[in-house]
Amino acid sequence: MSDLNNIPRADLFSMFFKRIKAVKAASDSPVKDLDSYPANRLAKELHPECQHLKIKKIIPFSDDFKCFVFEGDKELGTEKPAWFSAGQYLVIAVEIDGKTYCRPYSIASSPRDTLKGEVMIAVKRVNEGIVSGYLLDNMKEGDKILASGPLGDFTYEPLRDAKTVIGIAGGSGITPFRSFAKAIAEGDEDFSLILLYGSRTLEDAVFSDEIKALAQDNPKITLVNVLSEEKKKGCENGFIGKKLILKYAPENENYSIFLCGPQAMYEFADKEIAQLGLRRKFIRHEVFGEYFHPEKNEDYTADIDAVYNLTVRISGEEYSCSCPAGTSLLRAMEAAGIKAPSDCRSGRCGWCRSQLISGDVYIPQSVDGRRMADREFGYIHPCCSFPLSDVVIDVPPVKG
Amino acid sequence: MERFDVIVVGAGNGGLVAGTAVAKAGYKTLILEKHNLPGGCATSFVRGRFEFEAALHELCDSSANENDNGVKSIFTRLGVEVPMIYEKTLFRTIVKGEDGYDVRLNSGYDGFLDSMEQAVPGCRESVKKYLDLMALLNEAQDYLNNGVPNPAKLMGKYGDFVRAASHSSDEIMAEFGIPEKAKNIINTYWGYLGVPCDDLNALHYLSMVESYVSNKPVMPYHRSHELSLALVKAFQSYGGEIRYNSEVTEFIYNSAGAAVGVKAGGKEILARKIISNIIPNNVFNISDETKIPKSAVKLANARKLGLSFITAYIGLDASAEELGIEDYSVFICNSPDTRKQFEDRLNYGMYVVNCLNNAVPGASEEGTSMLFFTLPMMPEDFPADLKAEDYKKYKNDYVKRYIEDYEKTLGVSISDHIEEIAIATPVTFARYLSTPAGNIYAYSNEGWDNVVLRTVFDNIDKKIPNLSFCGGHGIRGDGYSSAYMTGAMTAEKVIAELRREM
Repeated sequence: MSDLNNIPRADLFSMFFKRIKAVKAASDSPVKDLDSYPANRLAKELHPECQHLKIKKIIPFSDDFKCFVFEGDKELGTEKPAWFSAGQYLVIAVEIDGKTYCRPYSIASSPRDTLKGEVMIAVKRVNEGIVSGYLLDNMKEGDKILASGPLGDFTYEPLRDAKTVIGIAGGSGITPFRSFAKAIAEGDEDFSLILLYGSRTLEDAVFSDEIKALAQDNPKITLVNVLSEEKKKGCENGFIGKKLILKYAPENENYSIFLCGPQAMYEFADKEIAQLGLRRKFIRHEVFGEYFHPEKNEDYTADIDAVYNLTVRISGEEYSCSCPAGTSLLRAMEAAGIKAPSDCRSGRCGWCRSQLISGDVYIPQSVDGRRMADREFGYIHPCCSFPLSDVVIDVPPVKG
Repeated sequence: MERFDVIVVGAGNGGLVAGTAVAKAGYKTLILEKHNLPGGCATSFVRGRFEFEAALHELCDSSANENDNGVKSIFTRLGVEVPMIYEKTLFRTIVKGEDGYDVRLNSGYDGFLDSMEQAVPGCRESVKKYLDLMALLNEAQDYLNNGVPNPAKLMGKYGDFVRAASHSSDEIMAEFGIPEKAKNIINTYWGYLGVPCDDLNALHYLSMVESYVSNKPVMPYHRSHELSLALVKAFQSYGGEIRYNSEVTEFIYNSAGAAVGVKAGGKEILARKIISNIIPNNVFNISDETKIPKSAVKLANARKLGLSFITAYIGLDASAEELGIEDYSVFICNSPDTRKQFEDRLNYGMYVVNCLNNAVPGASEEGTSMLFFTLPMMPEDFPADLKAEDYKKYKNDYVKRYIEDYEKTLGVSISDHIEEIAIATPVTFARYLSTPAGNIYAYSNEGWDNVVLRTVFDNIDKKIPNLSFCGGHGIRGDGYSSAYMTGAMTAEKVIAELRREM
């Protein structure tokens, strides 16, 4: 005697008929396409695979520092630049002598500017910077450029960060803070920004006037210029350290510190911040930028003058080039004209993730942003991997 | 032009298992994946000093029977070894309100019955009978797998199988005389299948519950990315080739309507068999519509999309112990009734919070812990008019409400400890998975689209020659183990076809 005797067995057949009926009654017109779903549409709008942009305007601050205002290249399918979160960056791809070079640039404009069809980056000349030099010297209004969607997590997160952010900017590290300040002024971010902006002279401090103007109208924005090579009324003098942070930090209230600037600034500021005894969650860095000179690390014991063979497999095709010990695998591929994916170039985003088929590489610990299983199964980020022998890697093709 | 024996489209759980199985059988196999990582949902990501699990709550293992299609058996057969940790408890379930309760259930057959008896005195016998029904159901399924069944035997000896296969979980449980409260506690897992228990197929639900109870839930140590990479490693060891960033943009058919290849990266690649790990809707959208049987289009149009989620991945700068978080899985509901939980899904009806550190010791650095909020949402719930500029606020506001509810319900304080947070929504899933409406559970298992009918009609529905499917949209429904299983089953069929056609 079963407990289930009261349950009719014949329902199995009525269930069959229910299905047959439901399918029969359904439409035979083609299934809805993905764009008909709001979530898919929004995903496409917020995270385009790539953005076709055109230079609308170039604002030269000097021969070595210019702002590029882009608009969507409608002909190629980009109506307007994608909305983003202040603090994010775009990867800009340029073709020089038949080779593709990609570099991340923080967005200087506000998210709301995209609604007007604009997005702006700031480009500063970097020593031996192939891409910055090319952009500064060769690009003119109307030129087309290929960019990524907005990327990066140097953003303000209301559930994580304190209501007050001390921004520490050095040099062109001011770029994302211009975006933060504008986003606050336009109501798209809600926090108080106290910006400590380090430069040699006031004249070097680009965007100061604009941010000052925003600060005048908005109590949530404060700008403090910190000049290392001149003394000026209304400006602080010296470097941004513990004393200065404490002078401007809110009392008896948590605050977050956001840092963006050159390596040297991080090295100095980090030591100073360490003395403040802040919890780790309150200190956030923009990515450190590309890693050079692995030989400066104590755990690097190989011959830095060696040159190795790098074999690259992409979708079943094989390419090869040489790679000096002190050059990242990504840079070597780039120099050889081998197209490989990359975004942050700082070990963090994982977009260049590739499989190490054979050989050994050195990965500086401070920029090893890999997943645990990637380490376990032999996957690397070529942007932060330096050869210790001949190396074979399998690299995903560049999309599109 | 490149030619393979088999092309697998999509490196999700089903695709990875299917690809590995056909490669192991000696066929030249290519897996094409649109993202730069394998696994689909089965992945992880790093933020600061945390590595977050993207999707897995717990694997429904099946280690009792080595010949079955449980995860462990599939992995073993494919030569995949991943160290796993077994959970001692199934879950803690907290139902708010007057008729609410706060119960923890042990895993393991006896432990489960003990904790049920403790929660609802006197329920043990009825719950035991319910669990024990699984033995007959297994026997019946074996019988059905071995040729055409004798109707008299099916209706007689396996009558209870027929009953469980054609009724809802609630109907079947009621017949065992399981007390209301005990039933509601056992129903806690419904969210894993996405259909409330008054409409969820009894055979489907019992199979899952019984497996979690008897075999215990398991977790890999290094997130589900480790499962995916272990499968990729095995796949490659059998000579398989996997290509990332390689979205298939077209399925190619011959004049007779058989699938013969795909287009990826602008190039045509041919194969004798194609296995799609991507949902039929997406395949049809990139196919010549005259090649798709009308009945297949009707079926796709008749089906309802299942659950999606808003998920929050939170890294805390205090340990679970310091914060007073004791459990791995906590289900928080505002009613004991699963239908009400489903209907109130946007308003705390039912949500899950996992603290990985309580399942996998050392999952994050000492003095830290990780929380994973899973907030269910149906495709139609996502605001149709949400603008790009309001999206960040929308997702943060949504999750903030739930963090506050969690703090209040558990009596813990986490807001001040959030060191990292990432929030995924249907938009995120649409971005990475390209599923319709950013949905996760593919087709809902409700009503006539339950696993029993999917299985039966899989042999009846008209198919596109040389094209088969596996994954969460397959006959076993959503979930890791189901996707792995359909991968294994599909591979078996494809291998048999290839052998016949030699």
